[in-house]
Amino acid sequence: MFSQLIQNLIDHTVETSLGYFQAELWLCGTIVVLLLARLFSLDRLLPGNVLALAGSVTAVFAAWSQLETVQAEPGFSETFFTGLMIQDLFSVYFRLFLALFLVLTVALTILSGIPDGEDAPDFYTLLLGATIGMMIMAGANNLLMLFIGVEMASVPSYAMVGFLKGRRTSSEAALKYVVYGAGAAGVMLYGISLIAGVLGTGDMSLLADRIRIVAEGGVAGLGDAEVRLVVLGVMLVLVGLAFKLSLVPFHFWCPDAFEGASAEVGGFLSVASKAGAFALLVRFAVSLSGPSSAALMSAFGIGLGVIAMVTMTFGNLAAYGQSNMKRLLAYSTIAHAGYMLMAVSAMLVMQNSPQAGALGQEINACIGGLLYYLAVYLFMNLGAFAVVALIRNYTFTEEISSYAGLGRQNPVLAVCMLFCLVSLVGIPPFGGFFAKLMIFGSVYKAGDLHWSMYLLLAVGGLNTVFSLVYYLRVLKVMFIEERPADSRPIRLPSLERAYVSLLGAFVLLLGCAPLLADGLTLLAGEAANSVFSAAVTSR
Amino acid sequence: MQPSLSGYLLIGAVLFTCGVVCMATRRNAIGVLMGVELVLNGANVNLVAFSRYTTLGIDGQIYSLFIIVLAAAEAALALAIALNFYNNHLTIDVDKASSLKG
Repeated sequence: MFSQLIQNLIDHTVETSLGYFQAELWLCGTIVVLLLARLFSLDRLLPGNVLALAGSVTAVFAAWSQLETVQAEPGFSETFFTGLMIQDLFSVYFRLFLALFLVLTVALTILSGIPDGEDAPDFYTLLLGATIGMMIMAGANNLLMLFIGVEMASVPSYAMVGFLKGRRTSSEAALKYVVYGAGAAGVMLYGISLIAGVLGTGDMSLLADRIRIVAEGGVAGLGDAEVRLVVLGVMLVLVGLAFKLSLVPFHFWCPDAFEGASAEVGGFLSVASKAGAFALLVRFAVSLSGPSSAALMSAFGIGLGVIAMVTMTFGNLAAYGQSNMKRLLAYSTIAHAGYMLMAVSAMLVMQNSPQAGALGQEINACIGGLLYYLAVYLFMNLGAFAVVALIRNYTFTEEISSYAGLGRQNPVLAVCMLFCLVSLVGIPPFGGFFAKLMIFGSVYKAGDLHWSMYLLLAVGGLNTVFSLVYYLRVLKVMFIEERPADSRPIRLPSLERAYVSLLGAFVLLLGCAPLLADGLTLLAGEAANSVFSAAVTSR
Repeated sequence: MQPSLSGYLLIGAVLFTCGVVCMATRRNAIGVLMGVELVLNGANVNLVAFSRYTTLGIDGQIYSLFIIVLAAAEAALALAIALNFYNNHLTIDVDKASSLKG
């Protein structure tokens, strides 16, 4: 009997789970090879950056083949590793997204040469490890995996922020990040212990059902002590996620960490850790939403809307006075987290309204918009950080004033920066505009259900206008001011020029090439659909 | 006589509160990290107690095993970062970490 159970477990793991876990396994394998190559002094023969690039490209192919299989079966959703993780189009979308982003980041680090040959294996081990953590976050189906994913993504990030060992600013940034990060993780874990204990399960697909049982046992709503404990737990978990998303009031680490870390690491953290945390937030929110928790969850949705308003307003206002480009981009990252949170807020308000059944299409559109936004955000934010990193290699500074006159001296770099920044503002025909439009459209629809969503929309619109000012200030310095005569010229090799042009081209194409944009919209919509269908079938 | 669940939860809550207060008030980076450990162990006490008294069952104990390992990993990294900070600043007072602001 017992041996039969073990045999079944092994069979299921080998036949299904490991296949679903392919992309992560390739990355794990790459880490092992990286470390062994260093151990046996093969790193001259097999440089760390080549190994990392090869590993991440393989992960992209693995994720791509999964995408094709999963897409062929609409509504496919299956748990694996004994229900700890879930495989649906949503998690595969994020897996592909993160693997693709990893390839682009590794390519950037190769071009800008930030980890030197000596340190390359260490740096890429951390980078790949953090990416695996984020992939786990996107596929988590258990509160334990939620915590492990967050920790696996955070712990290597702390080390990457402090990677420039001798620099005072880098060590300070890492210390601040690790202190805040460890605290937030601890608080989140306490929340997890309360949720798992009171509801008696860690399985996220059972949470909504268990909340119903707990609420039926006593007085429904906030009157019941057990329900209150669960609400407290959910709020503590949201603290941890808000920290990863750098939402106000948990954003302190973000500008400091980005300024102290190298621009490559900043670009990685701003996109990848945000994507992983949003995937987790969506999964967590969907798993808690059920008929008996509707009033509670729509209140959470409105609460998230308020946080979104404060976050984007704060991010945009704080970005005005910045003279350091990385710090400005960090505040812009905070503001964009606010925009993206609008989608989650609208989703929660719609899904937990009495008319949820009729609104299926619109609920899908919220998450579809979020996924589209993340994809565009990948290219525009990485593009901006890549330009910062490449310019730093020539001028040794990241001050905005040092960009004076770049438009004339190096048009390719300056035009790529123009594309990225204008897309970050959200001006057509760039990708950022359509992404923003999709999210704002969803929030507008949610406005019919609660007036605060109209307010959220208005604040979002105003913030878009505000943000124009500080992005344009950078562009003004680049294109209108004269380059000082004594400054070092910036002449990029053709490979680096090709890299930034590629990113700039994608930012533009995702806005104005219907084929690419429609394909991505469709994929994002299907991925969004899968996360809801999973929640319905398991109920 | 068997102690009740609420007794264990009370210990967990006290550990959690002590940890949060410690994180918020300590100026020494090592002290802050000790606060983090208290918070994690508060959660551990909760999980193990819940695994004894509720349907969470053995899952709770497995959770706490994972958490012990993760806490060790995090502490090792945090101490390395604190050491690096000391090498650059000759102090581990978190208030002295003030060159990045704005």
